[in-house]
Amino acid sequence: MRRPGLSPDVAAAVAVMRRDWLITTSYRTPLISSTVSLIFGLVLFHFISRLVHIEAFQTPDDYFAFVVVGLAILQVLNSAFSTLPSVARQELVAGTFERLVLSPFGAVRSLLSMTVFPLVYATATGVLMLAFAAVAFGIPVAWETVPIAIPVGFLAALSFAPFGLLAAATVLVFKQAMSGMTWIVAGMAIVAGLYFPISLLPDWLRWASEVQPFTPAVDLLRHLYVGAPLHDPVWQSVGKLVGFCAVLLPISLLAVDRALHTAARRGTITEY
Amino acid sequence: MRPAQATLSVVDERQPPPVLIPAPLVEARGISKRWAGGAAPVLDDVDLTMSAGELVAIVGRNGAGKTTLLRILTGLIEPDGGTVKVGGLRPRADRRAFHRLVAFLPAANTGLYVRLTVRQNLELWSDLALIPRRQRRGAVDAAIERFDLGGLAAQRADRLSMGQRQRVRLALTTLHEPRVLLLDEAANSLDDEGVALLVAVVEATRRNAGCVVWCAPKIDERELPQVDRRLTLRDGRLT
Repeated sequence: MRRPGLSPDVAAAVAVMRRDWLITTSYRTPLISSTVSLIFGLVLFHFISRLVHIEAFQTPDDYFAFVVVGLAILQVLNSAFSTLPSVARQELVAGTFERLVLSPFGAVRSLLSMTVFPLVYATATGVLMLAFAAVAFGIPVAWETVPIAIPVGFLAALSFAPFGLLAAATVLVFKQAMSGMTWIVAGMAIVAGLYFPISLLPDWLRWASEVQPFTPAVDLLRHLYVGAPLHDPVWQSVGKLVGFCAVLLPISLLAVDRALHTAARRGTITEY
Repeated sequence: MRPAQATLSVVDERQPPPVLIPAPLVEARGISKRWAGGAAPVLDDVDLTMSAGELVAIVGRNGAGKTTLLRILTGLIEPDGGTVKVGGLRPRADRRAFHRLVAFLPAANTGLYVRLTVRQNLELWSDLALIPRRQRRGAVDAAIERFDLGGLAAQRADRLSMGQRQRVRLALTTLHEPRVLLLDEAANSLDDEGVALLVAVVEATRRNAGCVVWCAPKIDERELPQVDRRLTLRDGRLT
């Protein structure tokens, strides 16, 4: 696949994404099993929505639509936190990370490029989940605002990416990060309101909903996909996402660079 | 006296003017490294200077520090003391230009994306090496030809034998035609034909005003007859 007109740096970033695509699609079973578990998750929450009554929702269908968007974003959340550190560790074990470090493109840019495919893949899975829920369970999709959800989804994914980079930096120094990531994803899912409205959170935990980009992302995407009422004005939620990107992305890239430096100084950069 | 200089066209899409590389090509001074908890330093005040066209063999027992020295020369590991310069460039401060000049083949049979084909591995590396777009296909084809991988180009790396994998690793390492080639037990798993191809690449690197470090526990003089210097790494010292 040739890419006319691309600068060498962009071509290298695209090559990393293409590599991730080729490796992912070279395995068939994970694709099938993730689709099946996605459907099972939807079915489970469909029946849970019939069982419980939450004051914030007038009907079980309203809660189901609410939670389906939460589950779709959970895919992206999981990907942001878990995929990159997991891939970074695989690269260390396979000895390919050494090549990235020694390449003129470099390990920092390579890791940044490696955030793209998993986030796009998870976003596509989330969209598939919403489409399935719309077809199979008839959730009310707000078609007029769905196109706006695409750029907002990318902005949200970009604001999630630094967490993966920070986790990858942790892997480079400590070689392990996955157990911690599982806890963090579970915690984020609670405070960002993926399963239930954040208005149900106790007051002492509310602050945790404000200090990360997942809450405004969930709020915006839920509004754009299924017409759920917004917690904050649109401009405020978009501003928060842009702000998180602007602050966290440079910090996470610096953290990766420092992690590489630390590992080089300790002589552990090729260890796993 | 003015130092001798060699010219090099640095790979860049915008085609910058040739960069003048001062002699010596490789200059490592006072390198020392001690692992955490280690009683003795693995490298103790090691100096290594190499000029263009030189082939240096470094031998030493297992664990003598050969790989550590090579990793320090590539910038993968930072020494506790001492400095490394290749073509006047430093591994961290001049990272990108430095890695265009230097290539390192680690020991073992790792470093391949095993679910990708041989050609896909090479294409990926041609992009990561920032080879200009118009030269990428040619560089990949040349690397395939250099190590006689034509019949294996469409095969996935996990379906290759150890010797075939080693050829692919060598093709990756030399794809961007580095000036300084650091080889760690490069002949491992290679058959006679593979060793001959490797030696031909070593000679070509020297002819093109590059230099080569060949590390192994022992050197087979029949395989590598043109060694300029043979050094031994023992007790952290290079003699």
